Amino acid sequence: MPGATTLNLNNRQPLRATGDSATVRAVLIGSVVAFFILFLLLPLVVVFQEAFSKGLAAFLETFRDPYTRHSIILTLVIAVISVPLNTVFGIAAAWSVTRYRFKGRSLLITLIDLPLWVSPVIAGLLYVLVFGAKGWFGPWLREHEIRVIFAVPGMVLATIFVTFPFVARGLIPLMQAQGMKEEEAALTLGANGWQILMRITLPKIKWGLLYGIILCNARAMGEFGAVSVVSGHIRGKTNTMPLHIEILYNEYQFASAFAVASVLALLAIVTLILKTRAEWRAEQELRATRSAKTP
Amino acid sequence: MSIAVKNITKRFDIHPALRDVSLDIEDGQLIALLGPSGSGKTTLLRVIAGLEFPDEQDGRILFQGRDVSDLSAYQRKAGFVFQHYALFNHMNVFENIAFSFRVLKRSQRPPESAIKERVAELLRAVQLEGYENRLPTQLSGGQRQRVAFARALANRPEVLLLDEPFGALDAKVRKDLRRWLREFHDSTKLTTIFVTHDQDEAFEVADRVVLIDKGSIQQTGTPAEVRNHPANAFVADFLGIKEA
Repeated sequence: MPGATTLNLNNRQPLRATGDSATVRAVLIGSVVAFFILFLLLPLVVVFQEAFSKGLAAFLETFRDPYTRHSIILTLVIAVISVPLNTVFGIAAAWSVTRYRFKGRSLLITLIDLPLWVSPVIAGLLYVLVFGAKGWFGPWLREHEIRVIFAVPGMVLATIFVTFPFVARGLIPLMQAQGMKEEEAALTLGANGWQILMRITLPKIKWGLLYGIILCNARAMGEFGAVSVVSGHIRGKTNTMPLHIEILYNEYQFASAFAVASVLALLAIVTLILKTRAEWRAEQELRATRSAKTP
Repeated sequence: MSIAVKNITKRFDIHPALRDVSLDIEDGQLIALLGPSGSGKTTLLRVIAGLEFPDEQDGRILFQGRDVSDLSAYQRKAGFVFQHYALFNHMNVFENIAFSFRVLKRSQRPPESAIKERVAELLRAVQLEGYENRLPTQLSGGQRQRVAFARALANRPEVLLLDEPFGALDAKVRKDLRRWLREFHDSTKLTTIFVTHDQDEAFEVADRVVLIDKGSIQQTGTPAEVRNHPANAFVADFLGIKEA
């Protein structure tokens, strides 16, 4: 039994400064690596293996299917609308809560996180309740022949809701740590609000901002739950990549399902690389402000 | 430029930072706002700059008799130097100093050659010739603060406001910059207010010293007046003088 051995060795060896013996450390690191391989790396390998299980030709054939192509395009369209909007909202939210003191400020900070602890399915259902045929705005929308639910606008709204926190959450701690002395200096030098945002604040936070945008984009393209509820799964109309994967899988088209999934997985890997890079630069950004404060 | 501060009150939450403060500063003077930390001296400086606004409507700030109370900091254009420099780390020394020209409307902006000349002149004045292309992070604390001085002076402000300008520097650099400030003021006669908690600094550099405690002005006078005739127990105690 590995547990018993660990205990035994632990008793024999003197404790180090960190309080953990070499064995405990080895077991801990080993189990984390094993977990990582079993639950994260292996599935990723399986995705690519299954995607190419019927050969490269079959893989490419999947992407000739018009429904698959449409799902990719729709995913991109939704991301192209919701990511810039959430970037602007995120900067505005981070600016408000870090630069001003007002009543309800801490409530606002909590609300920014709301989409993270509400199940995405609930988020989708909320939009159905508000914009659906029997919802608050349902009759009005029908009169004006505007379709929100089971159409692209609803999917964009659901995606915006789910991805809202990412930019703001990345920026708030950064902007709090950086303070606003540079902005005040720019103000006394005659810069107006817009000039301060463009010339001082954005350059100061650019890597932290990029980090938030990358995460926001990854989530926007990968979102399933919320979008699934409002989409209606109409092939060639309201199917995004994650929804399309589910349909293909349910129709036993495993190779095609995994082929589309591999594109999403690739996106995740690219995101991870970009994220790591942006995170590193964001840390440098923060360190630069800190070092600027010590002589 | 003369500065008049009239009946300024400022609260943060409920704690009053300034209580009905009034102060007259003549043109061309070098004034020290001296007091312990939390006395309200920095708040007073920031109210003069337009970085904070007084609570009461009857609180007024006048520059050369002109009411600037409703102008924001970017319209007042007082030169301001921060304790921790507040340089723009993503810009080199040249662009930091040229910033106040870069934000001007095109019609008001001087030509590039004039900006270059002005920056070179300022770098000479703060003894940093040849540092145009350095980034702030490549400079020492004393050098950074001199860049901050040059940046504040670039567009020829009529008043210079300094918030603990030597506070983050080590003793030797502090002394040099102190002397530099006094000489600079003697040659330009630019109205200057600086905040400090260090009485030696205040007495060595300033024409007049304003002692502040608990949001109120305790005494105003030349260094000799204040030292020889402390107005009350706080002043005597803060300066370490035994009352007669």
